[in-house]
Amino acid sequence: MNKLICAMIAIAFASATPLSAAETVVIVSQRSPLTRMFPLQAAQFFLGQSALFTAIDQADNSPIRAEFYLKAADMDAGQVKAIWAKLVFTGKARPPKQYASSAEVKRAVAADPKAIGYIEKSDVDDTVKVILTLH
Amino acid sequence: MKRLVMLLLAASCSAFAETSTNGISVSGFGTIGAARSDTDKAQFVRSNQAEGVADTAKIGLDSNLGLQASFEFNDVVSVTTQVLTRKSTSPSYTTELTLALVQVKIDDELNLRVGRMGLPTFLISDYQNVGYANTLMRPPVEMYSQTPMETANGVDFNYQHAFDSWNFTAQGLAGVSRGKLFRSGTSDTPTFRAPVVALALGAQVGFMTLRISHLVTNFTSKDNVGLNHIVTALENTGFAQLSSDMTLTPGKKIAFTAIGLTGKWLNIVVQSEYGQRRNKEQSPISDTDAWYSMVGYRVGNMLPYYSHADFKGVGSSVPLPANFATNALSSAVRGVLASAAQSSDALGVRWDFARSVALKVQVDRIKPTVKSGTLIDGPPAGLRGTVTVVGATLDFVF
Repeated sequence: MNKLICAMIAIAFASATPLSAAETVVIVSQRSPLTRMFPLQAAQFFLGQSALFTAIDQADNSPIRAEFYLKAADMDAGQVKAIWAKLVFTGKARPPKQYASSAEVKRAVAADPKAIGYIEKSDVDDTVKVILTLH
Repeated sequence: MKRLVMLLLAASCSAFAETSTNGISVSGFGTIGAARSDTDKAQFVRSNQAEGVADTAKIGLDSNLGLQASFEFNDVVSVTTQVLTRKSTSPSYTTELTLALVQVKIDDELNLRVGRMGLPTFLISDYQNVGYANTLMRPPVEMYSQTPMETANGVDFNYQHAFDSWNFTAQGLAGVSRGKLFRSGTSDTPTFRAPVVALALGAQVGFMTLRISHLVTNFTSKDNVGLNHIVTALENTGFAQLSSDMTLTPGKKIAFTAIGLTGKWLNIVVQSEYGQRRNKEQSPISDTDAWYSMVGYRVGNMLPYYSHADFKGVGSSVPLPANFATNALSSAVRGVLASAAQSSDALGVRWDFARSVALKVQVDRIKPTVKSGTLIDGPPAGLRGTVTVVGATLDFVF
């Protein structure tokens, strides 16, 4: 029942705020030495394969999150969750911290030279640096 | 106002695998399942499990619940504890402490851990009980019944290094594993104590991981009543060497070596592994070889898969003396030294039909060839023919 309500809300949201046209970009702090990155390289920080950069994630059920993992790693939410289940329940790693909006992701990324995040292209400003555009 | 209500409702729907307050995270995993076979002559079990399924459906084979809490003191130090409830070496549900560790982040590539942790013996050893993290309904019993050791108290390091488009991982562990051994056909459940040293190396490119691992243990079991009877009888009948070969007190050095491949390429999902158990000195535990190969093809949120597995004995480390007569004692010794063998085929589907929940349906066709294979409570001469096991599970994380 809960799931049904969630699905209905998601549909209501989708129709209220069309996001399909938005492009997703991977961002780092202006102070980061990074200049560009491939989609798979970006994905590894969000999937526990490397801790060289600190992944800053979007909210679990946000459309941009689904789009990021689909475009960067060709994975849906279930596949991503299965990978993290393996890392979390062996006590080896914890999933990236999630932030409720692109504005919060941008703020967290701007503040940390080691952070990496992703937001809509239209939300980019000069506090962050775009290193990858996902198509 | 309408937007706010929608936002609040949407937030309450968030079902992520961790709820975090002030650095404390509580999460969990579990499986609710039912399975049955088509025979009443033996029971199909998981590795080291006391009660399995015969020709009536039961939920104890696959159902389990894991609860985990972790606390981050800061970016460097964290603690994690986990308890797991399941049917294991006892016919009733028991709860055991499966993780209790302190993790220290040395740098971005190296972590040290101290406490209780899962052993990296084989490819999926340390997450074999997390159904949601696996494609197959259960760890292939042919491979994973080669060892009863699941956790150890000790220390380990986890190292991760990226090189070009490759990622390399290394895990090294030293500790002591303790647990119980379920022994089919007897009422005793002896304990074991096994100091272990293990090393696992992984190389990952894209989403494919190749992993090799090696674990050496000194496996001791003092209260093994059945085995101790044989050891005493051998000593009393003048077979001193054989008696010391057959004992697990003091412990015996055994090595486990495995090579495995897991991952996805486009829509193809694979998991394949070869693993062996070898005695490094004379011991009553047989040398074994096992392998399995699973391939699946993802169609949307459905993942149909097929797996074949094989397990067989490759001899004993114990030479039998030339004057070893044929009597009850010698047949008991030969019975202990002979390994079981079987192969199986599994056909199944994983369906990620909802957030954090996966439904699996799997049919196994098991062909025991020696000593009823991995099945228990079989006929004295061993079960032959094919046993079919049908199961359905709901795997979830929260």
